[in-house]
Formats: sequence, C-alpha cells, structure tokens
Amino acid sequence: MSTPIWKQPGTLAEQFWKNGKLDFPVYDMHGHMGSHYAIHFYRHTPELMAEHLRKAGVKHLAFSHHHVIMGDMRNAAVAEICKRFPDLYRMYVGIVPAFPENIKEDLAMFDQWTPYAIGLKFLPDYYRIPVTDKRWEPALKFADERKLPILVHTWGSSQYDGGPVMLEVAQKYPNAKFFLGHSLYGNWEYAERLVKETNNNVWLELTAIPGERKNIEMLVEKVGSERILFGTDLPWFDEFQGIGGVLSADISDDDKRNILCRNAETILGKDW
Amino acid sequence: MDDLFFFDADCRVGSGPVIGIQPGVKELLAEMDHFGIDKAVVQHGSTGMLGAAQANLQIAEMLKEDTEERLTGIWYFLPTQCRELPEPDEFFRQMKENRIRLLALNPYEHQFIPHRISIGKIMDAAKERNIPIFLREFSGQWRDLYDFIERFPENIFIYCDRVGKWGHDRKIRPLLENYSRFYYGMSGYWVPEGIRDLADAYGADRLLYSSGFPYYIQGSGMTQLKFCGLNEKEIAAIAGKNLEKILSEVQL
Ligand SMILES: [Zn+2]
Repeated sequence: MSTPIWKQPGTLAEQFWKNGKLDFPVYDMHGHMGSHYAIHFYRHTPELMAEHLRKAGVKHLAFSHHHVIMGDMRNAAVAEICKRFPDLYRMYVGIVPAFPENIKEDLAMFDQWTPYAIGLKFLPDYYRIPVTDKRWEPALKFADERKLPILVHTWGSSQYDGGPVMLEVAQKYPNAKFFLGHSLYGNWEYAERLVKETNNNVWLELTAIPGERKNIEMLVEKVGSERILFGTDLPWFDEFQGIGGVLSADISDDDKRNILCRNAETILGKDW
Repeated sequence: MDDLFFFDADCRVGSGPVIGIQPGVKELLAEMDHFGIDKAVVQHGSTGMLGAAQANLQIAEMLKEDTEERLTGIWYFLPTQCRELPEPDEFFRQMKENRIRLLALNPYEHQFIPHRISIGKIMDAAKERNIPIFLREFSGQWRDLYDFIERFPENIFIYCDRVGKWGHDRKIRPLLENYSRFYYGMSGYWVPEGIRDLADAYGADRLLYSSGFPYYIQGSGMTQLKFCGLNEKEIAAIAGKNLEKILSEVQL
C-alpha cells in the first residue's frame, strides 16, 4: 500500500487525522438546532451541539433553529441562546412567510441582535412558496439594502428554490449575498450559472455534498474554491464526516482552506 | 489507533448502461490505498440490470485482477424453482472457488417475491453455513425489509443504505434491537456522533464501517468513525474486525 492521505506529512488530512482539528478555525455556515419531526438525532441541544463543534475545531456555527423555520418559535428566543454561547453561535434570522407580522418585527430587531444575527434564512421548498413570490420581498429588500447574507435552502429540481428562480432573485437583488444551501443540489449547471451570471453575490454552500465522491472536485472545477462555503446542517450531519469529506476530496490544501475557513472570513471579516 | 485496520463492507465495481462508466477493481484498489483501506466487500454495480447469473460471472472474473486478495465478492441469488443458478451445495462450492463469501438478492429488479416458498431453501442453507445476506436493494424499502427479516430471523444480515441522508434511527434501531444477527453497515449514516449512540445501545460489535463506493468517498466515514467518541477497541471493531470475524465464520 502507498502512503494513505492521512499519513502524508504536512497535509491538512494528516493534521486532522492526528488531532481531529485543523490549525485554523473552521466555519460551519449551515446549521440548525432543536429536534426534528422526521429524524432522531440526539445532539440537537445548544449544549450537546457546542460540545461536538468544539471537539471538531469549529469556531462558529451559523444556524437557523428548526423550531423557528418549522414551527412558531421566535427569533428573539434564538438570540438568547446565542448570548449563552457568545463565542460559538451565530444566527440566521428565520423568515417564515406564513407569519408576515413576525417578519416585520424581527427585521426591526435585527440590529439589536448584533453580533449574533449575521443574515437571514429561507426555506422555500418546504413551504412551497417560490423564492420569487412577493411574500419574500420584504426580507429580500432588507438583505439587499444592508448587503446581508441569505442562506436559502436550494435544490436543483425544485420549482420553489431551484436554478431559474434563484437566478432571477440573485440578479434582482445584486447586493444581497446569497448562500445557496446544498449548492442547488443536482443542477450543477445552474449552480455554475448562479455564480457566474450574478453580481459576485452568490456562494455555493456544501451541506450534504462532502462524502459524495467527486462532487466537491466538480464544483471547485466549475466555480473555484473561493466561491464555496462549508456546512453540515448540524445536528443532521456529523462535523467529522463533513470536514473529513472536504479533506478527502482531490483538491489542493489551499482549496480546502478556502472552503473550510477563508471564504467565510472574506465575506464576514476575521472577527465575526 | 494510528494503524486501524479498515474493512469496507460496501463497494461496487463495474459499469452499466444506467450507471455509466464506473470504477473497476484496479481503481477501487488504488482508492483503498489512497485512504488506507485494507480490504473490501464488492459486488457488481450493475447487478440490477445484468441479472444475477451474469453479474455473478462478471464479478468473479473481475476479482481475478485483485492478485493480493484484498477483495471479497457478493453473489446474487434467485428463487430456486427456475433453476437459473446451481443447487445450493454446488453454488456454495463455486462461491468458495471464486472468493465470494456473501449473498444478496434484488427482488425488485429481478422480479420475485422474497418469501419462504421462493427462496427458503437457499436462505436456510445460508443460515447453516453462516453466509451473510447483504441487504442493499431494500434501501429505503423499510416495510419490505421488516417483512423479509421477520421471515428469516436467524440469518445473518448486513444492511447498508444509500438512499437519502436523513438519519433513519427510528427504522434501524428496532432491527438492531430485535435481531441479534443483524449488522448495520453505515454508508451514508451521518448523524453526529450517532455511531457512538448506536454502539452504546446495541454494542459496537453490531456496526460495520462501510463507504458506499463509488457513490460515496471512503475517507469521510473514516474520520467520522475515528472521532465518534468510542474507545479504541470499539472503533477498531467497527472499522474492520467485526466484518473480518463474520466472514471468517462462513463455511463454504
Ligand atoms: Zn438546512
């Protein structure tokens, strides 16, 4: 047997295999919190997630709470959770079109949730409301005015958050920063177009892709590692699996560092 | 810990009209070297469309490229009544000759009903000889899987999933709890530190490292296992020792 990647001196893979951590902070840009209707995962509480994240060397998890985007919990309560873990958690303010009054109130509160609130979260597919629907408009305008990130759950085959509708909104709101959750999974052609045919305001987010053979390589080839963000959907997916998936990809260590760390700092600053 | 022995329970090789051009034995072995995987269980990736008899021939032929004998093959079986495959004793003799130590079935694409009247004879013979039944085609077909295992509760089963990434503890745990010879190969099981929770509940000896190659990469499951919070002995068992033991008890 030749030397496996985990034993090749000086590589990130070697470092992670040895320590379960890297010598730079990892930013997980797509997380959740709280129990889920269809899936048992034990580690969904702020405490247990924090333990898992710290063990894997994740500096910040940017998340939206399940009970906000799939229930009627308020974002203010999420800000309180973040305050208990000020060095770790950052939140996407969950936008639920079924509750327009809440959207108004929450956007008005946004500044008071600094530095915890870093952007907004949309889940169009689950609500069957296309991202182009006017019910998303107040939030889109808000993000556009303030150049804020919006993590949108995207899926290649979806009419609600698939390629064509995402391209339309990303072009219509050129100052909002669109993080395409799951990278428009399966519609890689549109994932590339979203990055290339917009105002440099689109990034592909990897949740569900690390661990799939050759897909990270393909995305890096299409858009470059500078436009790809790391994410796990924690508490859905394991950090060691996700980071290990990026490290297992056949791309350079520089690319891996961009994905796991640098790109988030480029967008949000070193100290976010 | 640094020299963990890894035995991947779930790999496929070979191309087909639907799956397209996929890695062969040489590529799989190279990838195993790349990640430090010692051994692997393999089947032909296009068995569904090739049919059992032809896929069995082809995987046996492909395994000849593996001169260091790091790979162990899976053969598919069919209802015995149509006599498309040899009688169990002869079938097992040929398995031994071709380094095949596991059986599998694809009742969906191969169009049969996995009941006692159709496959009872071969399932009983497999039970007597400790030949594991590899379950992949039942992936996501939970009701069928439950029914099938209930019909043959004493056989050895290795279940590997590939469909969907939503954690399926609510479906897998009852099987682990009720069937002591049911093993779980964790291709695509990504629940945070879930490996530890399953091992705590049912024992580390019931879990198997498996990748789902070539759709999944072998490396990410390795780091997930290494840092799942279990002790070194438990991790070593899941990484490869459990599967090594199961296959060492097969009598062909
Ligand atoms: Zn998500």
